[in-house]
Amino acid sequence: MKTLPRIVPLILTLTVLTTIPAASPAASKNDGRPDGGILAYGEYGRPATLDPITSNEMISLRITELVFNGLVGIDEKQAIVPELAERWEVSQDGRTYTFFLRKGVRWHPRDGEAPRLFTADDVLFTHNIMMHPKTITPLKVRYEFIEKVEKLDDSTVRFTLKRPILNALAKFSFKVIPAHGPANPQYLTREDPFVRNPIGTGPYIVKSISADREIVLMANEDYFKGRPHINKFLSKPFADQNIMTQAMMFNAIDMLVLVNPRDLPELQGDRRFVLQPYNALSYAFFGYNLRSPLLADKRVRRAFTHAVNRKEMLDAFFNGQGTIISGPFAPGSWAYNLDVQPLPYDPAKAVALLNEAGFTPGPDGVMQKGGKPLALSLKVPIEKESEAVKRVVLAFQNYLKAIGVSVKVEFKEWQAWKDAVFAEHDFDVILASWVFDDSADISSLFHSAEIGPWKNNFGGYSNPEVDGLIVESKLTLDHEKRRTINRKLHALLAEEAPYTFLWTLTNYSGYHKKLRRVAIHPYKFFSFADEWFIPAAEQK
Amino acid sequence: MAAGRSTALLVTLAMLAATAAWAADDAVARATQLYEKRHYRDAARTLETALPSLDPARQATASLTLGIVYLGTAELHRELSQSATPMQLEYLKALAAIRGPGASRLASFYLGQTLLESGRPAEAIKVLERFAAEPGVEPGFRAQARAHLGLAHFVRKDVTTARALWNSLEARDPQTKATLAAVYSRAGITEPAPVALADAVLKDIGERPAALVRQKLIGVYARAGLTARALALVDQTDLKAPSSTEVLGPAKTINFYDPALLGELAVLYRQASRLALERAAADARVRGTAEYYLGAAFLEAGDVERALQATRAFLALPGAPPAYRNRALVREATARSLLARRADGGSAWAALARDTASDPDLLADMVAACVRHRLECAEIEPRAVRAAEAGERRKTAALNFALGTYHLRKGDLPRAVAYLESARDKAQKNRIEANDPVLLVNLAEAYYRTTQFSESLEIYFEMSQQFPVVRRLQEPLQGVYSMTHKSAGDVKIF
Repeated sequence: MKTLPRIVPLILTLTVLTTIPAASPAASKNDGRPDGGILAYGEYGRPATLDPITSNEMISLRITELVFNGLVGIDEKQAIVPELAERWEVSQDGRTYTFFLRKGVRWHPRDGEAPRLFTADDVLFTHNIMMHPKTITPLKVRYEFIEKVEKLDDSTVRFTLKRPILNALAKFSFKVIPAHGPANPQYLTREDPFVRNPIGTGPYIVKSISADREIVLMANEDYFKGRPHINKFLSKPFADQNIMTQAMMFNAIDMLVLVNPRDLPELQGDRRFVLQPYNALSYAFFGYNLRSPLLADKRVRRAFTHAVNRKEMLDAFFNGQGTIISGPFAPGSWAYNLDVQPLPYDPAKAVALLNEAGFTPGPDGVMQKGGKPLALSLKVPIEKESEAVKRVVLAFQNYLKAIGVSVKVEFKEWQAWKDAVFAEHDFDVILASWVFDDSADISSLFHSAEIGPWKNNFGGYSNPEVDGLIVESKLTLDHEKRRTINRKLHALLAEEAPYTFLWTLTNYSGYHKKLRRVAIHPYKFFSFADEWFIPAAEQK
Repeated sequence: MAAGRSTALLVTLAMLAATAAWAADDAVARATQLYEKRHYRDAARTLETALPSLDPARQATASLTLGIVYLGTAELHRELSQSATPMQLEYLKALAAIRGPGASRLASFYLGQTLLESGRPAEAIKVLERFAAEPGVEPGFRAQARAHLGLAHFVRKDVTTARALWNSLEARDPQTKATLAAVYSRAGITEPAPVALADAVLKDIGERPAALVRQKLIGVYARAGLTARALALVDQTDLKAPSSTEVLGPAKTINFYDPALLGELAVLYRQASRLALERAAADARVRGTAEYYLGAAFLEAGDVERALQATRAFLALPGAPPAYRNRALVREATARSLLARRADGGSAWAALARDTASDPDLLADMVAACVRHRLECAEIEPRAVRAAEAGERRKTAALNFALGTYHLRKGDLPRAVAYLESARDKAQKNRIEANDPVLLVNLAEAYYRTTQFSESLEIYFEMSQQFPVVRRLQEPLQGVYSMTHKSAGDVKIF
């Protein structure tokens, strides 16, 4: 007994020594390109969360691309490449995926803590937390095909699928979070400190976030693919897109994630900057809350679409820099039905449809039915605000007024807007945009199972035929069948008008030409940012 | 390239030559405005409708304008045809490789035709033979396959096999008859007469849309020199309609497109251009300008001797604007170089290359000629690059365009994209009114080849508003994209 105190500390010491990996020198990329410099980029809003599970907005996605990794990644030629998994095996029947994890990868260290190793436990943890019923995330629908996840050993994970699926390997690009990250080990909510102070394995570490949501990210010296070249990334939010462009013109920032189309002529003529197109797969829309009896009838929604002169708005407010769309896909998508035309601007037809739906003009000129006026609230997020958006909103209000519909516009702060739309469903109409990756997966937008708090079917749209087509699309392994189904979905949703589909705008990123080797992922943007560099003479 | 420059020339020389003042609603003025917006078909229709009622003074100018419009249309269709082939091949090969229930039968049929169009008759024969021998193939498609097989053998100079195949066919349906007319026409067969066959088929189908039939017969009339009839047929044809739609169940349909059509349209428009320009050249008032464009039209058609003759006739004119004179010199050097190469000698091109200054437009013409006619560019390229980097964007747009195409054809895709993007007016991203449609086609091809498919599809989507024939690039590209993308299925609010 008296000897125990002397032995126990020795054992503890030995245990600690074997847990903390030996420190290694920063791994360089050995590509002959210089390290150093700071890249400040402008964003058009402030992300609510910075983790890859609870966020459903593009601003957060871009940050997570810098901070986290998936089991697999994608290269510039759109081929799947190893990332946290160094190799994998797929069973003949396509139902089992075994990933052999990279060893020696370390999580970003928290202040005062030693860095921990990434293991299979983290992969299991990520999957489990993602699929937990209490975790608020739009990701569940994407991973419903996974039957179980097993840890075979510290460096091996096996996924068993319910059925083989198309592009299964690409699905394992989901970002892995550390088991020691969230405060709650079971499920993740927006109240968990992790979502605002995330740690990952990625090329950049979140260093600090100011009160204004300016985010500082530092190069991860221990990054397993080699230290990224640029020392620091600064994400700077701007409420006004005009000011953001001016900030780059006056060298306050080096890059714009998205250039305001109205600024393209000026930037195009300025030799200091490069304009690079990307993100062709987004579109803007007015979305309707079908829970409202006023909007449940598709004739009403179609009437609104006929009432709105989309070409006039696009020409007047965006210099015509975009393409009017007819359905739930962008024209750059493989799923777009080229035979479906946008509903024409036809206010007379709009009025006729409202009449058909039982609405007649009241004494004040506002359409009414059963004594209830067709008066709607349109909620718009302030942080998407630009002169153009304001004009679109006011134009919409006027177009609808012309057919006897009263619209009250309400600008809301971004988080409050998201709460109203996604959590409380307290709205009649919204103006927003969706951004898609190449998969053209609209299931979370229009399947009835995706109605609920923080799910993407915020409008409560439900149609068994659409549900059936979406399920069929997910189940098939036949690409051409999936294309045919998507064409049908496009036609059906154009007919049903759960949204007034507006347009895909011209999308360019703009950056100072001192940034080199800039490859931009068309959806995730920063996937290849660890390779970007600034020549030594131009670093600040 | 440079529709604006063409129009400027037209206006300048017309003012020199014409005696009548132009009324605001003059058909030529309207057509010129449409041409400047790259609404080629509308421009051509305006002139074709107006021509018969114009007085002789205006007819020459109208014919000249029509010739220019058709020349631009021909160039565009030539580039579209070139871009379409690799996309169609990639798509059809992937489809044809799929076996089992629900697999396409027609993919091989169209793959064989596309291989033939792309100058690979030996491979086409293998694929078409396999298709024709498969059990369960519809008789009409089997017959069409054998008709194309015959053409493939004919191209390989095996006329006996070709004839045997054609003679063995019982062409009962309009599609097979139209196919036979088309292959006879392309083989230069005069008995049976392709035009007579075509006439009979058109009478057969009456007013029915029959897209495949009409599309097949355009080339028959064009090659027979019946340009007006071919153009009329184009007007009656839905150019975006598929040749066939294969239904493989309630949730699977595949559209297939005749791979020959774009090339046939390029031939037709070249011919139409030449005819209109020759009509114009008959009038002394506009002969000089007509000769300038005839030089381009003949060169486009591969008739180098006549290109040289027409270009020299233009160069002999006094008072031509320097920019166009320089351009004609480039064309003359190109023609001489092509002729000399045929005679295994010559330094005409090299001499011009050494002597030219750093005029970006002139360098653009030279680089474009190098690319188009596969001439030696080594001396010109470095000067062109320096001029592009030194110049202001607007002034070097044509040069960036030419350099982009040069790198595209060399396979240096990152540089191709960079130069072509520099040439594109980003404030009017895919608008043909602001960007040469040939630039957009080349950029779309560059994006396809760098797997940035959505950028290509965006370009084609815009172009399809004016050029519905682009559908035969959109659909295969959508198919390739859907099969090859590696995305997880993410969507986020903006």
